[in-house]
This record gives sequence, structure tokens and C-alpha cells, in this order.
Amino acid sequence: MTIPSNPSAQPQPGIQPGPSEAALAATPDVAAATGGARVASGIAAAKPPSREEVLKVENLTVGFPTDDGLVKAVRGVSYTVHEREVLGIVGESGSGKSVSSMAIMGLLPKNARISGTIRYRGEDILKMSKKAQRSLRGRRIGMIFQDPMTALNPVYTIGDQLAEAVLSHETVSRKQALARAEEMLALVGIPQPKQRLRAYPHEFSGGMRQRAMIAMAVINNPDVIIADEPTTALDVTVQAQILETLLDVKDQVNSAIILITHDLGVVAGTVHRVLVMYAGRPVELGETDEVFYRPRMPYTAGLLGSIPALDTASGEKLRPIKGTPPSLITLPPGCPFAPRCPLVTDICDDEEPELASTDGLEHWAACHHWTRLAEAEDPTKFFRAESEVRR
Amino acid sequence: MSAQTDRSATSGRQSADAAEGMTVVARTQAEIIRRRFFRHRAAMAGLVTLLFVIVLAYSSIGVGPIPGWWDKTYMSTASVLDGGRPTLSLVPGFLGGDGIRLGEHPFGQDNVGIDYFALVMRGTQQSLTVAFLIGFVSTVIGATVGATSGYFRGRTEAVLMRFTDVMIAIPVLVFAAILAAAAGRAGIVALGVAIGAVTWTGLARLVRGEFLSLREKEFVEAARAAGTRSTRIIFKHIMPNTVGVIIVSATLAIAAGILLETALSYLDLGVRAPDVSLGSLISRYETAMQTRPWLFWWPGVFIVAIALSVNFIGDGLRDAFDPRQTRVRD
Amino acid sequence: MAAFMVRRLVISVFTLLAASFIVFWGTSIAGDPMSDLRGIQDEGDAQQQIDARSRRMRLGDPIFVRYLAWLGALLTGDLGENKFGQSVSGILGPAVSATMQLVVAATVLAIVLGVTIGIVSALRQYSGFDYSLTFAAFLFFSLPVFWVAVMLKQYAAIDFNNWLRDPEIAVPVIVVLGLVSGLAWMAIVGGDRQRRLTSFGVAAVVTALGLWALSASGWFTDPGLGLIAVVILSLGGAVGATFLLAGFRYRQPLTAALVTAGIGIVFYLFSEPVLEDPNWLMILLLAVIAVGVGLVVGRYVGGIHRRQAMPAAALSAFFTGGVIFIDYLLQAYSTYLSRVRGRPISTIGAGTPNFQGDFWESGLDSIGHLILPTTALLLISFAVYTRYSRASMLEVMNQDYVRTARSKGLTERTVVTKHAFRNALIPITTLMAFDFGAVIGGAVITERVFGWQGMGHMFIKGLQEVDPPPVMAFFLVAGGSIVVFNMLADIAYAYLDPRIRVG
Ligand SMILES: Nc1ncnc2c1ncn2[C@@H]1O[C@H](COP(=O)(O)OP(=O)(O)OP(=O)(O)O)[C@@H](O)[C@H]1O
Ligand code: SF4
Ligand SMILES: [Mg+2]
Repeated sequence: MTIPSNPSAQPQPGIQPGPSEAALAATPDVAAATGGARVASGIAAAKPPSREEVLKVENLTVGFPTDDGLVKAVRGVSYTVHEREVLGIVGESGSGKSVSSMAIMGLLPKNARISGTIRYRGEDILKMSKKAQRSLRGRRIGMIFQDPMTALNPVYTIGDQLAEAVLSHETVSRKQALARAEEMLALVGIPQPKQRLRAYPHEFSGGMRQRAMIAMAVINNPDVIIADEPTTALDVTVQAQILETLLDVKDQVNSAIILITHDLGVVAGTVHRVLVMYAGRPVELGETDEVFYRPRMPYTAGLLGSIPALDTASGEKLRPIKGTPPSLITLPPGCPFAPRCPLVTDICDDEEPELASTDGLEHWAACHHWTRLAEAEDPTKFFRAESEVRR
Repeated sequence: MSAQTDRSATSGRQSADAAEGMTVVARTQAEIIRRRFFRHRAAMAGLVTLLFVIVLAYSSIGVGPIPGWWDKTYMSTASVLDGGRPTLSLVPGFLGGDGIRLGEHPFGQDNVGIDYFALVMRGTQQSLTVAFLIGFVSTVIGATVGATSGYFRGRTEAVLMRFTDVMIAIPVLVFAAILAAAAGRAGIVALGVAIGAVTWTGLARLVRGEFLSLREKEFVEAARAAGTRSTRIIFKHIMPNTVGVIIVSATLAIAAGILLETALSYLDLGVRAPDVSLGSLISRYETAMQTRPWLFWWPGVFIVAIALSVNFIGDGLRDAFDPRQTRVRD
Repeated sequence: MAAFMVRRLVISVFTLLAASFIVFWGTSIAGDPMSDLRGIQDEGDAQQQIDARSRRMRLGDPIFVRYLAWLGALLTGDLGENKFGQSVSGILGPAVSATMQLVVAATVLAIVLGVTIGIVSALRQYSGFDYSLTFAAFLFFSLPVFWVAVMLKQYAAIDFNNWLRDPEIAVPVIVVLGLVSGLAWMAIVGGDRQRRLTSFGVAAVVTALGLWALSASGWFTDPGLGLIAVVILSLGGAVGATFLLAGFRYRQPLTAALVTAGIGIVFYLFSEPVLEDPNWLMILLLAVIAVGVGLVVGRYVGGIHRRQAMPAAALSAFFTGGVIFIDYLLQAYSTYLSRVRGRPISTIGAGTPNFQGDFWESGLDSIGHLILPTTALLLISFAVYTRYSRASMLEVMNQDYVRTARSKGLTERTVVTKHAFRNALIPITTLMAFDFGAVIGGAVITERVFGWQGMGHMFIKGLQEVDPPPVMAFFLVAGGSIVVFNMLADIAYAYLDPRIRVG
């Protein structure tokens, strides 16, 4: 692997070319399966996404039985991730983003009720044996969690925790695994990676730990990286760096990313397509530009209105959406967004809208009145009206 | 409330409103806790058992000059009937038993013919009294020491915590034995106070921990900024938030207390003859295990029943107070 | 780290010093030290004795001065004499060794059993096993130690010894025990209905058949393992050790563990001259050698998986050694049994008076005397450790880093034994320090029930006689060992948690 473009990564004299090649040749079967498209070599320039589907989630539903009733955390989520694509999933806290991605990883608690299909290269993960699921985890699909302060085991060294990820999937010596770990630390921009292998997590700063987490997620050259709010818990000053590192590493290992966030600002300019979730449902899906400039679901419009304006800079005061999401135990029959929606009509209270295609190409939305947004000049204005009156 | 609103001073109005808001929140919170507690099956079973034992012990042989419904006393001897065997029967007649009845000596008699039911009831009374005293004394001392050292910090804290460390260095049973050796002679109240005076260290540490974190909270800072007296802040503002920890600890202290008292009485360092406790009864009749095993069994069963019910109640209280408690069904 | 330990030690010494004054003072005011002399008929004689004792105990001085005198003597290594003029250190020596055996055995067993079972219970949360264990723990918490001890004496010793005269297990008992074992295994193994039914059936049948075979072959009158059992147990131990520490994904660790067990078995065949009548030092040495052999085998057979193979082989070696040890003990059983007239479980004292025998026989004698007091003492600590480790494990299993470990695709075995277990142990070390004091307190009671002339006896007697020096000697040993145990807990904590190593 070539020295990463990240300027903070120092070339290490200690790195031998041998292990690097071993590291890269580690997943030949995948390369074969995809017609050689994924031969990871020293190509520095990232390849664009292809139409090849790596991950296909269909009608995923997750519920948790509790003393108070069934928590319907995810209700019929479908999306596809293509090779080398970055898919963003946005939505308020509690909208089911983490639960749906944990379902892919098979990390939900035992009592979770899961239905639907999750296909990895055509094969349904939910129907696989435990063993097959495990060999997918961390090897084909890697995951990065929100809080790097708690996501690393405090009692083992960084090197140990990285090497372990290699050793659990491949028959290599510990030395080789450690060499790969060192290489990965260099790749994510950690200076003096060889020494850092022996450090414990508490000796790392938050940003460095998150870099180590990224290294851990990609150490087996996965096809998909699920990044669940990878920057939320970090200092604002390092958030951008970490995001950049993540995208950079993705290009190096040629994997796709599912980037989960509740920050639309992060999504802009980083992801190819966006899925917006609300109350466990997908409510809008489309190319990033489509969704950003032509939202077809009032919730998305509201989210856009609640972030510091993008291009539509106007001196107006931006307002968050009023109200709170509905309870996931006793959901009302109609559109879950109805109580907070400025466009609400009677039909919204009676019938839950399906995710359906709209005027844009491959642009889907779940709203009875998406045409009204299409007619409006500035879709976010519905949320701004009130504040204007106030002023 | 109306008296409050009549006052014209706005500040009075505001604090009254704030107080109102607080009580509303507190009430719902208390309700939630109560509901959680009453849904805890083991705790309910414990509560029923404990109440039954208490009522039985005090109503049967009475307290002091007040006579109870049981016609024999724990001191008078009588002729030994049927080798002193218990006459209590719990198997109804239609199941082939002797029917449900107490009989002449439900728990049997000892070798000189004392009615063992009356004797065990007396022992239960004494053990319960000492156990509750221990719970009360150790809770008061522990909460006060913990609150003081957690709130004032600095030198006060250093002195109190060093003192607590010294206390902890002596094993509880050893310490209690030493104090009880002197106090036991002075009667059961002195005994309870003495044991309570050595069993408060755990609670003190818990309460101190709670205080250390609570004293940094905004509402305490606000009260301090407003010039509220320290004792008022401690008792009005912080203490209510540690009430869960304290109540649970107090319960567990009672359970530990009865085990400690009976152990000391067994070693002849607690309740002394001629008075009896459940522990001294076991010690007295230990050698009769072969010939009259019931003399050994009854007091033990009562100790276990009391300690187990109190422990279950404590468990129920802990679950009720602990907000993290969200039970997931499989 | 060293500086930290020294600081802790100095603080501990001062704490002990302050505590020792409290103990001295409390004992001095506990009553009338002359009460035994007050009944003497001859007034003059009584007065003379009272005066002599009063002088010996310095009753004319204030308590604090007496304490300083005691402390001064202590600094010269003198523990003083009791009120009858006997030297305290003379009484202390044998008392300490008896009590320490009891306390250490109970503590070690409570930790090992309590932590293991607590963790299994956490991993099987809300199972029948978990619920039964929770109830058992509550029951144990609520049992008076002395009551249990008396019961054990009656039912586990006297009745068991009686049963040994004609050791046959009745069929209904076999059936019930088989069912109980089936239920226990079903709950521990868990899984779906079929798996549970299978484990129930297998465990019940194996237990019942095993008991029946033991009973029918008269095993209880002349127990022993013999070569076949040693081989089966050792190889089984090797598989178990591999499962715990390495898993079966690669064959090297298993090979290493099996080879080590094999070496142990070969040693067993030729061990007669060495193990005829060894001593403890030799046993210790052999244990060290066994572990060393395991490590070496693991190193060379393990290949690139030696990091897993070495501990697995070492544990396997240790286990095989244990099996051999038990086999030798059982071989000595029938001679021992005849020497104690068929009553191996003792209810009185720490050893059979004037017992002379070889290493194995005296070993059996100690075990026969230790088993009941240890069990009585164990129950409460065991309950505390299970509850605590269960809670700790449950908490750890919900931590983010466990989720991370799973997300890497580690096996559940690795997630539990490597990532969760070590973190779960960290808070338990703190408990160890606290619990040790409680066990010493419990020992005072247990010794009384079983008539041991140990430290607890010394303490109670001293206290009842209002005689400070023996009480103080007891406190020095008890307090000192608590301090030492605290330090061990600190070291274990520092070893487990790298975050505090820096200090
Ligand atoms: N084990 C569980 N038992 C019960 N409810 C659960 C469980 N896990 C998650 N939930 C519920 O499912 C819903 C969706 O949670 P999820 O973590 O997916 O939200 P999210 O979109 O990731 O939010 P955030 O931005 O806060 O991470 C929440 O209401 C949560 O309370
Ligand atoms: S369906 Fe109705 S309530 Fe729901 S988002 Fe569309 S307009 Fe609003
Ligand atoms: Mg989330």
C-alpha cells in the first residue's frame, strides 16, 4: 500500500514491503467474486462507485419487547449500498439509525425481533449460520462507533486490539498481524505507529482513538464500513480531520461507507446518496444534491432549515423543528411526522405515506404532499414562516 | 398554597411556584418508586413474612405488662409432655395429617418443661428490637458522617475519612464483640446502640460519594450562591436525593444486624442470660441437637425468615429506587 | 507503583496503630478481670491473688499508659503475657497456623467458585440457573454462620460418617440426584429447546449411572482413581483448558495441551518413588515444573499460535498434576479410614490428636478437619462473590468495547474470556480486600462451633476474661493479614488495569 495522502502520516523506515503485500493479498476470493474490480493495489486515485450492489437491505424491521410494550425501533427500511459508494443516513436521535446498522452487524441484543432481508453480495445475512455471520463481521463489513473513549478495551494495548482483528479471520502469525496493525496506524495518520502499538487506549487522545478505531475497522480490507456518528463525540476542531481520514482510508481500501449522522452539514459534500429516517422509517432517499436542493418530504426540509444555511444564505434566523418524535411503542396510524408538520392535512392523520418515487430521478419520499414542496420555491420556508411573523 | 399566593412579594410567589413544581415532580417520582416496589414479588413476600413475624412475636406473649393471647410464659416451667415434642401441626386432616392446630406446646418444650413457643417469641422480640436499633443507629451515624465529609470536604473530610478507615481496619464482628462485651451487660438497648456504632462505615462511604457528586450540581450551587445555610442545603437540598441509597442501606443494615446480634449472643457476648435472644437460644440448646432437635431448629428458622425477608425487601427497594432498572423481557 | 505501595503501607500501619488502641481500650473496659477470683472462699488467698494479678496487669495505671507499655514491649518483639502469667506468643503460634489454614482455604474457594459461578450466571441472565442462584445467594446471605455450622456438624459429619459404615446410595436418591444434575446442566448450557433437552438427558443419565456404578462397586469404602480415570480426566482437562484459553479454531493449542497431559500421565506411571512420601515443598516444586513443562511444550508445539498454546498447555499440566495429587490422596484413604475408626469427617479440632502418618495420610487428616468449618465459612463469602461478579460481568457485557470486540468478528468465547472477563475482575479485587476481614470475623464463630483452639478461640477467651494481651495478639495477626491482603488486592488491581499503573 502506498503512503497515504494524509500529510500527517510519516513514512516509517521500519515498514517492510513484504507484510504490506501479504496484507493486500489477504482477500483474493473477494477480488475473484467481483471480477477483479477490487484488486487493491497501489492505485492512489480512488475509483468511482460502481453499480455493483454490495449490501441490499430490504424491508428491515426491528422490535424490542419491553415491559411497556414492543418498541418498534425500525419499521421497514430498504436501501442498497453500491461498491465504493458513500451512503449517508440522517435523522434525529432515536430514529433507528444505529439499530438498523447493528442489525446488519448482527450485534443487536438477543431479545430483538428482526425481520426482512439483509443481503451481502446476494446472500441473506439473517439466514446465515452464526459462524458465517461472524466471519463477515470485521472482515467484509467493518464498523466504527460513536464514542472512541469507550469503544476500545482499556486493558489491552492498541496493537493487541488491532492484531486480534486480523488473527480472528486469518491464519497468520502474531508478528505479521502486528505488522499489519502498524501499517494501518500509519495509514490513518498516527505518528510513530510502531511505538504506538504498545500504547494503551488511555494514552491516546480522543481523535487518535477514533483514528485507531478506523484502522481497526479497515484492517481486513472490508467491502463496507459502517460509521455510526464517527465524529459526534469528538472535539469540533478534530471532527473534520477524522472525517477526512475516514474518506481517505476508504479510497485506499476501496470500500463503501454507510455514514450515519444527525448532522446534515457532515453529509453535504461527503456522501453520494442520502437516506433520511424518521421514527424508524425511511422517509426520503436520493442523490445528495437532489435531496439537499429539492427535498420532497417536509421533515427533510425542516432539517435543512435547522442547519446554518448552505448556499441559500439568507439573514434569517433558522429554527429547529418544533415538537418531538412520536413514541415508538404506541405509534399513531397516520404519518408519524403529522404532529410536527406544517403541511399536514386530514389524509396524513389517517394513512401512513409509503416511500414512493417523486419528480427527481431515483429520488424517493414518503409524503402525501410532496408536490407542494416541489411547487414551492424554497421548501424550507414552511418552517421559517413562523419565525418571520415573530420578527 | 393559598396563604402563599396571598403574599404580595414576588419573590415569595416565585419560590412558592418553584416549590410547587418540585413537589409535583417528587410526588410522581415517589409514585413510580412505590409502584415498582409493590410489583416486586420477592419484596412483597418478604414484607408479608416480616409483618407476620413481628405481629406474632409481640401479640403472642405480649410486651411488658400487656399480656398477649398465648397463655404460657417464657419463664415458667411445667411437666414435660411427650418428651417435649412440638405439637404444632400444619397438615390438614383430609391429607392424613393431624389437622391444623397449635396444640399444647406448638414448638415443644425444653428439658425443664419451659414452653418453647413462648421462649422463641421472646427471643424474636429481643432480636428484632436489637436489629432495628442497629439499623437505626448505624444509618443515622453513617448518613451524618458521610454527608458531613462529602459536603464540607477539606479538613473535616480528611479527619472523618481517616477515622472511618481506622474503624474499617477492625473486622466488624471483632469490633462489635469488643463493644458488646461491655454493653451487653447493660441491656439490649445498649447492645443495639453499641453494634450500630460499629456498622455504619459502609453507608458513610456511599453517602459521601453521593454528596461529592451532588454538591457540584447547579441546584446546590444556586442555593449556596443565595446564601442558604449549610445545614439547610444538606438536609433540604442534597439529602432528599440520597434517600434511595440511605433507605436501601438501612434495610440491609437491619438484616446484617440480626445476624450480627445472634452471632454475638451465640458467643455469649450479646444478650445475656436470663434474658434470651434467638442466638443465645441456639447456643443454649446446641448440645440437645441429638435428643431434641426442635430446640435447635426453631430459633434458626426465625433468624433466617427475618433476615431473608429483610434482604428481599432491600432488594425490592433497590430495584425501585434505581432508575437504571429497565427490565427487558426475553 | 512501588512508591504508591510504600505510601499505602505506611498509612496502613498508622491506621492499625490507631485501631489497636481502640481494641485495647474496649477490651480493658469489657468487664471485671477478677471475676474468677471473687468466688474463692479463702478471703486472704483471694486478696493475694487479686493483688498479684492487678500488678501483672498494671491495673493501677490509666488505660492509655497500659497501652503504651504494651506497645513498647511489642516493639521489642514481646507480645506480653496473659493475666495468668502465660506467654502470649507461646499460645499464638499453633493458633495462627490453624486459623490461617481455615481462612485462606475459605477465601480462595469463595473467590474461585463465587467468581466462576457468578460469571456463568451473568452469561445466562434470566435463566433458571440464574434465578436459582440468585435465590441461593439471598438465602446464604441470610444464614447465621453458627447455625449452619452446627447443622453441618450433625448432618454432614455425624450422619455421613454413619452412612460410610455401609455406603450404598439408595435408588430413589440416585434418581433425584440425577434429575437435579440434569436440571442444573440444562440451565447452564442453555440454547434452544432441543439442546436443553439433550443436556438434561445426558447429564441426568451420566450422573445417575456414575453414582450407581460408584455405589455398586463399593467405591466409597475404597475410593481411588486408577490409571483409566487419571487418563480420562487428564485428557478431558486438556480439552477444557484449550476451550477456555485458546478455542479449537487451530489444532496446535489442543495438540500442545494433549501432549502435556500425556507427559503427565507418563510421569504418573513412574511417580511411585517420588510421590511415596513427599513434603509440601516438593509438591510445590513439582507444580512449578509441571507448569514449566506446559509452557515449553506450548512454545514448541504451538508454532505461530504459541501465544494461545502456552497458557492452554500450562493449565492442562496444572490440572493433570492436580488429578495425580488427588489420586495419591485417595490411595491413602483406606489406611487413613481404618486409623480414624471409619469416621473421616471430623467435628472437633483442627487435627486428630497425636496423629502420625505419611504426607498423604496427614493431608487427608487436615482435609477431614477443614472441610466442614471451611464450608460453613464459605457460604456467605461465596454468596457475596457470586452476586458481585454477576453484577460486574453484566455491566461489562454492556460496555461499548465488548460491542467493538464483537464487531471485529471475534468468537463469543474470545469476547467473554478475553475482553469481558478481565474487566469484570477489576472491581472484584476491591471486594477481596473487604471480604477478607469478614471471613476472619466468621472464623471466630466457626472455630467456636468446631472446637478449634485457634486465634478466634484466643480472642473470645481473652475478651470474656477481660485480658487484653491475647486479644491484642489476635488483632495484630488479623489486622496485619488484612493489610497484606489489601496490598495483594492492590497489586492484582494494578496488574489488571493499566490505567492505574502509571501512578
Ligand atoms: N435494546 C433496546 N431495547 C429497547 N429499545 C431500544 C433498544 N435499542 C434501541 N432501542 C430504541 O430504539 C430506538 C432507535 O434507537 P437508535 O439507537 O437506532 O437511534 P439513533 O437513530 O441511532 O439515535 P442516535 O442519534 O441517538 O444515535 C430508540 O428509541 C431506542 O430507545
Ligand atoms: S404525509 Fe402529511 S404529515 Fe406527513 S410529512 Fe407529508 S405532509 Fe407532513
Ligand atoms: Mg445511534
